[in-house]
Amino acid sequence: MAVLLPIGTRKGFFLVRSDGGRSWDVEGPLLPGWAVYHAMVDPRDGALHAATNNPFYGASTHRSGDGGKTWERAEELGLPEESRLKLNATWHLEPGADSELWLGADPGVLFRSDDGGMTWQVNRGLLEHPTRERWQPGAGGMCTHSIQLADGIMYVAISAAGTFRSEDGGGSWTPINKSVAAEFMPDPYPEVGQCVHKLLVHPKRPERLWQQNHCGVYRSDDRGDTWDRLDGNGLPTSFGFPLALDPEDPDVAYVIPEQSQEHHFTAEGRLGVYRTSDAGASWELASDGLPDRAWVAVLREGLAYDDDGNIYFGTQNGSIWTAPPGGGQWTEAVRDLPPILSVEAATG
Amino acid sequence: MAVVLLPAVLAAEAGGQKRFELDAPTVGEALRGLPVRNLLFDEAGELRRLINVYVDGVDARGGRLLEEPLTPTSEVRVVGAVAGG
Repeated sequence: MAVLLPIGTRKGFFLVRSDGGRSWDVEGPLLPGWAVYHAMVDPRDGALHAATNNPFYGASTHRSGDGGKTWERAEELGLPEESRLKLNATWHLEPGADSELWLGADPGVLFRSDDGGMTWQVNRGLLEHPTRERWQPGAGGMCTHSIQLADGIMYVAISAAGTFRSEDGGGSWTPINKSVAAEFMPDPYPEVGQCVHKLLVHPKRPERLWQQNHCGVYRSDDRGDTWDRLDGNGLPTSFGFPLALDPEDPDVAYVIPEQSQEHHFTAEGRLGVYRTSDAGASWELASDGLPDRAWVAVLREGLAYDDDGNIYFGTQNGSIWTAPPGGGQWTEAVRDLPPILSVEAATG
Repeated sequence: MAVVLLPAVLAAEAGGQKRFELDAPTVGEALRGLPVRNLLFDEAGELRRLINVYVDGVDARGGRLLEEPLTPTSEVRVVGAVAGG
């Protein structure tokens, strides 16, 4: 089956295509000059979307309705003056439950668009959250990097504010960080302030949430009311950024640990992907074909599944690796792209 | 009319047009008349920190910047700041 990988890089948007995985074609850079923090295809209409950032010209989003030939930029994206906040970066785009589109951004904010990403309205519940003064930026800024919608419930995760749940369509947000560690804080188990690196909800078991955190890997089976810490049973470290869930099996997840919070490269000097098939009770190294002497980094948006169960990740040194369903042998599909910020996969 | 010249990324965002002729009395009004004004100014209406503007070859940040007057023969050049090596 044909696969399309929208790839966000430090130097623009790339489209990587394959028909059956035997060869790979690269198109790009599209949007040259923009760092694409997240690139995606909206499955509802096939439009390409990008969270775009430029050190000179600020943060924006771009949309293409013709496969990347032409692009439209969002109009007047910013925060209201009375908030005394300014938009620092756009981080993550997520299709909504109906026709809307959601955008996560720095400083810990969420936007909604009802016109395909051309105009955006800030979410007041999160902007004016009563705990906001206790949030703080992580190394990448105070980014809203994860947006999940499942079973009528919405979740966002912010570094470093924690995970929040809304049961009223984004009107109000409840912190769900109980028993999630923030070891860098004076109180290591605060209500908010956790440094979540990636949050995902399992599509077939929507009460099950996973997160790769600054301080461990966690799973919740009750929509975030309580969390179990899962590292220490085969993972070389508790620190990392990316996370992927097998869409068919709620007990299978993948992470790519890094050495430590001070050393952002792969743990133990190898490019190691770790897989659990028992809901995080144990982890095993799944690195056949990957270099065993490597000090690279895979960012929070850099790991993805396609609908056939193939798994992909992109590295900061510009390579895209892929493995067949269930793991097995990894192959380097593409190399020498700019530093990769995000990988998504669409089949069709 | 004053001429405004844009760098490559801004020109791409302006539909490929890098040269604009504008009837504007000041630098600020010229820049706000461009289709890429929301890339030049933030949501508070302030010129973004790493954008430099030259009027007839002179750095407008050393003068009155957005209030710098333009003449019909002025050439305004927008340049990203050289920063970070």
